[in-house]
Amino acid sequence: MVAGAISSAASPSPSIGIGYRYGIDGWIRANLSRFDVLEITLDHCLAANSLARDAIFDLVGQIPLTAHGIGLSIGTEVPLDLAYVDAIASLLDCLGAPAYSEHLAFTRVPGRDLGNLLPLPRTHAVAESVIAKIKAVQSRISVPFLLENITYVFDWPDNELTDAEFLTLICRETDAGLLLDLENLYLNASNHGFDTRAFLDALPAGLVREIHLAGGKTISEPFLSRPLLVDTHSYPVPEEALTLLDRTLARQTPFSIILERDDRLDARDEILADVAAIRARVGHGASTLLSQSFSKQNLDGPGKPGHGAARPL
Amino acid sequence: MSDALLQRQATLLEHLTSSRAIFGEDDLSRPWLGMDRSLLHLEARFSHEKRMAKIKAILPRTLDHLGSAHEAIVRDFAAVCPSTGIGRLENARQFYDFLLARWQQEAPQPPHLPDLAAFEIAYAAVQRSASESPQVVPDALPGAVRRHPAVVLLRTDYDIRPILEQESTEAAPQPGEVCLALTIPAGAKEPVVQALLPELFALLDLLDDFTPRETFADMPHADAMIEDFTAGGLIEVRP
Repeated sequence: MVAGAISSAASPSPSIGIGYRYGIDGWIRANLSRFDVLEITLDHCLAANSLARDAIFDLVGQIPLTAHGIGLSIGTEVPLDLAYVDAIASLLDCLGAPAYSEHLAFTRVPGRDLGNLLPLPRTHAVAESVIAKIKAVQSRISVPFLLENITYVFDWPDNELTDAEFLTLICRETDAGLLLDLENLYLNASNHGFDTRAFLDALPAGLVREIHLAGGKTISEPFLSRPLLVDTHSYPVPEEALTLLDRTLARQTPFSIILERDDRLDARDEILADVAAIRARVGHGASTLLSQSFSKQNLDGPGKPGHGAARPL
Repeated sequence: MSDALLQRQATLLEHLTSSRAIFGEDDLSRPWLGMDRSLLHLEARFSHEKRMAKIKAILPRTLDHLGSAHEAIVRDFAAVCPSTGIGRLENARQFYDFLLARWQQEAPQPPHLPDLAAFEIAYAAVQRSASESPQVVPDALPGAVRRHPAVVLLRTDYDIRPILEQESTEAAPQPGEVCLALTIPAGAKEPVVQALLPELFALLDLLDDFTPRETFADMPHADAMIEDFTAGGLIEVRP
């Protein structure tokens, strides 16, 4: 067995997989053995017709599933939509997901919804507000809550904290884990001129519970002072992000690494090549963190909708 | 909760959904509330493009048939209809409502465009409802029939079927009423579109509620018709 970048021969490696997309459901099922885990976007499940929902629930028991959200808008300074959180909690139980992740961002205010993740002012007051809302979410779900760093094009003028300080403060006060999106880190560092090493070194060991990787593109416009990297989830993972994965795994023990792909989904060879590249960086033992938990779930009983017992890692 | 933060967020979203930010109509070298206006323009443009991609997914032919007016119409839409949700159908309905209001003021060009847009919205709505369980109506008599709740009936002024059957925008629909029924059979991913005789269309239109079978006793071939409609997913028979 090849020793992983962070794992000794005895310790399990992170599970490696992709974000499930209904549009390539057939291909995913035909290639299920190539993945250790699939990430379900819960909002896709909530918005889907029953055919698509059934397709997602049919995966329960076939492969470990992790749960990701895009619709919470936890940074909007209004009370949480508790009906939405309860719907998420119910889905988490059905899927038997080990954790629920969301973005440290806001997407809407009453009456307007941009549909894009926007940054928050990185201040102590904003952190305090987000902390209270994460605690409210945690009180309504049965699995650990993970917070994801976003990529941002513009930034607020009154930041008091760095990205790493802001994330770490909120996670520390809530016991939330971090879903570290390495593509977002790479893009932000490049676009806004900060040091990725300093960011990674500032994260406490053990904070990162999941990792996202993806590939974006470069935008050049006459009105921009320099080309910008943007996160499109449409191209192969850049070498720079894979290098950040090496560095992250030296101090962190995530239970899963997910490749996100939302565009150019016909380029399936690229998806498989990305997964292979991630496996090569991680090294892969006989078992993964999620497969150990998954085996235990299957021994304990079926993980079908309504019966899935979510088991935090 | 801080009203100040919410106010800042609301002001930012108002700016990012404004046509001046989306289309970069301001002097981009000047900061906006201490932020880089060119980057805000980029964010606004990305978000607008993402929204229009959602609308295009539901209304592909309608957008194609807007022709040379496409750019002006989309610009006007962005100016008066900020997005209020992230759903494809929700945004497409918003665009459709905008078009309907516009067509009150100026004649649609080409004239079959309202039919095409109505059809694409109906198609998406039927697809969205795929395999939803029908409501149980306990007091209906066994054998009673009603229009299947997932069916959408659409009467068009132009025969737009040539457009639906071709990828190109060349097809020229002929004027003339066409009665269409859209439904999605159990387990299917795509809706089925059926052209109906006007009398059958009118009958289906009336069947909102479960109706006793005896009501059709005087109709010639009523049983065969009910059987055909049931097989086609157009009506539901109370067991």
